[in-house]
Amino acid sequence: MRASARCLLVLVVVLAPLLVGCTPTPPGRTPLVVFAAGSLIIPFGQLETAFEAAHPEIDVRLEYHGSIQVIRYVTDIRQEIDVVASADHALMPMLLYSTINPDSNEPYADWTIRFAGNRLALAYTDRSAFHDEINADNWYEVIARDGVRLGLSDPRFDPSGYRSLMALKLAETVYGVRGIFDSVLRGQFETPITWFWDDGETLISVPELLATKADSRIMLRGSSIHLASLVESGDVDYAFLYESVIRQQGFKMVELPAGVNLGEEALAEDYSAVRVHLDFQRFTSVRPEFTGEPIAYGVTIPSNAPHPEAAVQFIAFLLGDEGRAIMAANYHPLRDPLEVDRYEALPASLQAVVAPGP
Amino acid sequence: MKRRPVTGRDLYFAVAGALLIAFLAVPLAFTVVGTPPELLGQVLGAAEVRRSLTLTFLASALATVIGLSVGVPLAHLLARRRFRGRSLVEGLIGLPVVVPHTAAGVALLMVFGRQGLLGEPLSRVGLRFTDNVAGITLAMLFVGVPFLVTAGRDAFALVENETEQAALTDGAGPWQVFFLVTLPAAWRGVASGALMMWARGISEFGAVVILAYHPKVLPVLVYEFFEAFGVAAAGAVSALLILVALVVFAVARLALSRSADR
Repeated sequence: MRASARCLLVLVVVLAPLLVGCTPTPPGRTPLVVFAAGSLIIPFGQLETAFEAAHPEIDVRLEYHGSIQVIRYVTDIRQEIDVVASADHALMPMLLYSTINPDSNEPYADWTIRFAGNRLALAYTDRSAFHDEINADNWYEVIARDGVRLGLSDPRFDPSGYRSLMALKLAETVYGVRGIFDSVLRGQFETPITWFWDDGETLISVPELLATKADSRIMLRGSSIHLASLVESGDVDYAFLYESVIRQQGFKMVELPAGVNLGEEALAEDYSAVRVHLDFQRFTSVRPEFTGEPIAYGVTIPSNAPHPEAAVQFIAFLLGDEGRAIMAANYHPLRDPLEVDRYEALPASLQAVVAPGP
Repeated sequence: MKRRPVTGRDLYFAVAGALLIAFLAVPLAFTVVGTPPELLGQVLGAAEVRRSLTLTFLASALATVIGLSVGVPLAHLLARRRFRGRSLVEGLIGLPVVVPHTAAGVALLMVFGRQGLLGEPLSRVGLRFTDNVAGITLAMLFVGVPFLVTAGRDAFALVENETEQAALTDGAGPWQVFFLVTLPAAWRGVASGALMMWARGISEFGAVVILAYHPKVLPVLVYEFFEAFGVAAAGAVSALLILVALVVFAVARLALSRSADR
């Protein structure tokens, strides 16, 4: 063995245990890793502070992404996460229940609590083009005008993206106006977002690679939270955002009719007439398809969570009085009743606060 | 030749160096080697990837050309002139290297965004800097030009003042002196600064993504593939970027060192 190789070996042997043994955990505190949808950034930030005050032994580490990416961190990147909160509960069964963790041979999750709703709306400011003209009756025509820049979340990463597409299609029914979807979106993307009508249902198809054209009126971003900054800076005139986010940011808002905003439980049937299909062909086995339904945020504990007890405590806090107050103060009230899809799979201490649901 | 005995210091230096090289090389090599060739082919075959590759290299080249036209004069001033506030300027030039690039992106957006300080008046004459090549170039210029100015300043400082004086005495004009005496003597430092700037632009993510998510430069595309399709797909684009960067910069470095040997 040459001298240099020997040196390397010695150093690796000496240093490796040190490197492996290093974790940045403060002594005595349990790190609790929470991955949440970007639209929860403000209430969950406050929740972290309040929870840590109540549980000084736990160190909450929050990270925010578009909801699809939040889940991908569990299944694809295989990061060990304690709590997953997504803006669409449907992502849990689609991506977590159906994926088997090769280490344990069990699914990554098997229950989801639907803990909050939301409504889709149009955010703008008093610097937005035609801001003094837009209202609940003409918004779909205003956002299609030349020179008006519209912010859209990428439907491939973020539920608010596919929900915006659903809203545009639902608006055609609610207002009785054909062509709203096309007038806003046609000609804006290199590969178009297409739709077809089939037996009373509309199926919207999003291409695998979605990019806006050079002269597009639309600014596409990976998460609705990125759009909020662009509304603020005036780089988009309008953006589809959740009502909670719009109110938290203090933007002006065009409220969309109940049949469009995906926020009304009673209209579940109407919403289900629109589906969005993500046309992933090349790189992944998942073929996500989303059916329109009332917006429901979902929270779960992955089966490989390193600190499941602390995770249960965090969720109990979120669903308890303090969490309820924090969410309400941020215009994002908890659902009533709180429902879980698989009651029997839920940790016993959470069963007391939620009701079995579909 | 008699061999010097290996000291403890030699041992430490060799091991530290070897570890560092492994630290740098292993992730890069693993990304390239760990990507199945058919996936690499698939990625290279994708029109979006090829377009992004061209866009990234050309936008950074454009930023570098602009950087040369404004950075070389400043580099020369900093090397040759003593003026009030010179150290302030030098500090300012180094700032974009220290400022987090996402913060640089936000700052640029606030100034060059559609309703920004300069963005608004410029948009009235049709100049826009969000979601287009102009925005990408602007971000690359901002984060990269310090490398060019610093390298250029150091190169100009090494050029003998007497040579320039002699040329002036012989009747050459100031432009002639600059282009025929100063620049040829300093060109290698300037070129290597330009190369660094170009490389910095190609690898830039933070500032670009805030100003211009579209059209997607390669770092943004890697991020998007990571978000949408997972590690394998993002790894394939990364592998491609690593390979292309390796080839381009090896050739450029070789060209620079060849001409220096002459």
